[in-house]
Amino acid sequence: MFHVKFADIGEGIHEGVLLKILVQEDQAIKEGEDLFTIETDKVNAEIPSPTDGVVKTIRFKVGDKVNVGDVIIILDDGKEGVRSNMEGGETIPESKSEVQSESKSEVQSEPQEQSNQPVKVAVKEANGASVVGQIEVSSDLIASSGEGRGSETVQKHMTSRILATPVARKMAKDLGVDIQKVVGTGPQGRVMKADIQTASSGLEPKPSAPHFEVQSPEPVRASHPQVKVEEDRVQRIPMTMLRKTIAQNMTLSKYTIPHTLVMDEADVSDLVTFKAETKAMAEAQEIKLTYLAFFIKAVVLGLKQYDYLNASLDSEKDEIILKKDFNIGIAVDTPDGLMVPVIKSADHMSLFEIAKKIEELTEKARNKTIGFGDLSGGTFTITNYGAVGASFGAPIIKFPEAGILGVGAIVKKPVVVDDEIVIRSILPLSLSFDHRIIDGANAGRFVGYVKMLLANPKLLVML
Amino acid sequence: MKQFDIAILGGGPGGYVAAIKASQLGAKVALIEVDKLGGVCLNVGCIPTKTLLRSAKLYQDLLASASFGIDIPDIADVTINWENLMNRKDSVVKKMVSGVQQLMKYNGIEVMNGFGTAIDAHTIEVNGEKISAKNLILATGSSVKLPEIEGIEEGYKNGVVIDSTGAIALKKHPKSITILGGGVIAVEFATLFNSLGTKVTMLQRSDVILKNLDEDVRNTIQRHLITEGVEILTNTTLKSISGQTTYYELEGEVKTVTSDFILASLGRAPNLKGIENLKLKVGRKGVEVDRHMETNVKGIYAIGDMVGKMMLAHVASAEGIVAAEAIMGTKTEIDYNKVPACIYSFPEVGVIGYSEEEAKKAGFDVGTSLFPLSANGKAMAEGETTGFVKIVHDKKYGEVLGVHIVASHATDMIAEAAVSLELEGTIYDLAKTVHPHPTLSEIVMEAAHGAVDKPIHIIKK
Repeated sequence: MFHVKFADIGEGIHEGVLLKILVQEDQAIKEGEDLFTIETDKVNAEIPSPTDGVVKTIRFKVGDKVNVGDVIIILDDGKEGVRSNMEGGETIPESKSEVQSESKSEVQSEPQEQSNQPVKVAVKEANGASVVGQIEVSSDLIASSGEGRGSETVQKHMTSRILATPVARKMAKDLGVDIQKVVGTGPQGRVMKADIQTASSGLEPKPSAPHFEVQSPEPVRASHPQVKVEEDRVQRIPMTMLRKTIAQNMTLSKYTIPHTLVMDEADVSDLVTFKAETKAMAEAQEIKLTYLAFFIKAVVLGLKQYDYLNASLDSEKDEIILKKDFNIGIAVDTPDGLMVPVIKSADHMSLFEIAKKIEELTEKARNKTIGFGDLSGGTFTITNYGAVGASFGAPIIKFPEAGILGVGAIVKKPVVVDDEIVIRSILPLSLSFDHRIIDGANAGRFVGYVKMLLANPKLLVML
Repeated sequence: MKQFDIAILGGGPGGYVAAIKASQLGAKVALIEVDKLGGVCLNVGCIPTKTLLRSAKLYQDLLASASFGIDIPDIADVTINWENLMNRKDSVVKKMVSGVQQLMKYNGIEVMNGFGTAIDAHTIEVNGEKISAKNLILATGSSVKLPEIEGIEEGYKNGVVIDSTGAIALKKHPKSITILGGGVIAVEFATLFNSLGTKVTMLQRSDVILKNLDEDVRNTIQRHLITEGVEILTNTTLKSISGQTTYYELEGEVKTVTSDFILASLGRAPNLKGIENLKLKVGRKGVEVDRHMETNVKGIYAIGDMVGKMMLAHVASAEGIVAAEAIMGTKTEIDYNKVPACIYSFPEVGVIGYSEEEAKKAGFDVGTSLFPLSANGKAMAEGETTGFVKIVHDKKYGEVLGVHIVASHATDMIAEAAVSLELEGTIYDLAKTVHPHPTLSEIVMEAAHGAVDKPIHIIKK
């Protein structure tokens, strides 16, 4: 039997929703054929079958919430024992003895049949394991040859943990390298200090890890023309899981949605003053008031006016889905990578409430305590690359939303007001929108409206 | 012409270990040795010197028996029987050599006795017979290098000037000996002869003996040797040798020292005879090889002293395994920074990895922790409390960079540190590892505790 599990797909996501089941019970499938699709905040991951076999049991229904480690489908692969596509964490207490005792009873019950065949036995995973991909472990047990004393079996056992040196583990933690993904070059595939340094610096590790094979559960699906290179003139770097996820999402969005860009500059001098004036009021309520809260407020008001930007395209039915919720995603740069927590029902929130929510969600995202609920259900996204000093950008829409607003850094600039050059605080705005849903004129009007609201903060708080 | 997968020139700890490994991996191996199997190590190096040192230690213990509560009525009755001392040494060596012969036999290795000359990269001539091999492993070792000093050649010829081989085969108990040099071998012979009651004078060119070792180690050993009666003269320049007298210059004055024998311990040079046809690239230290011990000629490997990376038996053996594996298709390599080195002085020295100075030079954020043997129960019980363990670590991850042990059993204790370095262990792992009590090994754990925070059994402010 083979247990197909929902393996961790990284980014601190521990749960997802079963979106589609692509097979039926008793259906014969080949290794690599897709079994089901999982929806999480960032990925709609199609999970391919890790082995040939017949679908025995499907344990969840479409729409069910599943957690990392749940067995989704049981396959009959015609072999004894239980295997799975997920392997445990760095340490597996007692797994060795469990494996041995389990196998021993099996071997003893059917000694004749198994006499010349290696018996594969399931390896138990540790609790709370956070594993990306599968690790194929040599846990083959060699049964006795049958000659000599009948009841005694010779068992050759290889431990099933990730081997890594203490320094390598510390260094991996320090440098943010996922040790599970590192190919070890030490004895028995032990991950050494140098392997972590190599992984961290993005160099290709030396290929000599005979016992461990890390596989990706969901390959990048976009078809690219093959890249032709002279192998000795390049270095090949295996993509991390996060990199693959990002690549897949961006490819999906960019290949599906005809992105179109509108850019403009808003004069936010009054907003700068207004924020400074209200800062003390916010602080009195222990709220850290940021510009982002004002941007969200303005965007929500803009989306109410231009509802085709708070929408999705259902291309199968040729229908545009206008959304009644105004759930604004905010791109947060975390040490582990980009996350997009969502401020739900932002249209029902005051500026202070929004500010408070931003702080709460950002904090949760950064210390990885954010739940699936706070990462899903967005209808429009704001990305604040002004935080790193950039001005204009061409952001990629978070599929299947209809638009994303990039906000740049507020910079004092000379501008012409009433035929005079004056210094004003200028905010660059870049809107990427889905041209299938909305045309440039209305997108431009939306930006103009948001710009007007940001230029008139008093109006912003009145509306 | 006999055909082999691998022909190995030299049956020392490099060559014979390579032969066994290659044979285990399925190769048909010929091993060519001009003298006895086991090389310098078994015949005239590691093993005989340790055998003699055991006698020397026992002699010292007997002389000190009163302090352990054992009276020997007339201490003058405790005498050295030089002949039997040498006989014991010879019998141990013989046993070891015959052990190696057995190993060769059971591994199906064809041992050819004679001087092997390489005709080309695939042909070796031994005693007029030519054999053919797909690969060669050269393990010809090294020989004592005599410095160019006036009169030294003549002294060597008339037997007053001896090398390490001569020093373990002396016919009589020498009254006095002058040791030229201050390296590991010089220190071991100084220990040996001094313990056997011979007056020892060491002439060292630089300002310290054992100059490549950690400062704390060399200072402790130097101080201890002096306390035990060895005369150590540093900053000397050797001038000439005449009869039993060595002329040297110290602080601008020419002085002399006269002794029964003069032991030249000033280094070794690789043996490169018989391989001239191979046109190998030879560097300053010896034959140049890559990480897998392959020379500039494909299919020809070189290991051990003739390569000269570290002239140690265990390095030669490790290199032999690397070469055998490389030929048989598995590429491995040696991290020379994780090779332990030992000195069989009283007390012994076992070191591995970076010294404090080297670690600082290499740019680590260096932390050190030293724990003295005098605070160890077993050391006190045995009455041998000279020594310490010093751990050099990288503060960033706590990685153990080097371990330096001076203790009566330091050479056995260093293995623990070797494991730690090989596995990239940290001071936290060492401190957390429960060590048995009462043993000298506890001081390693104590020093690790000291590196992490504070040791348990000593007051550190």
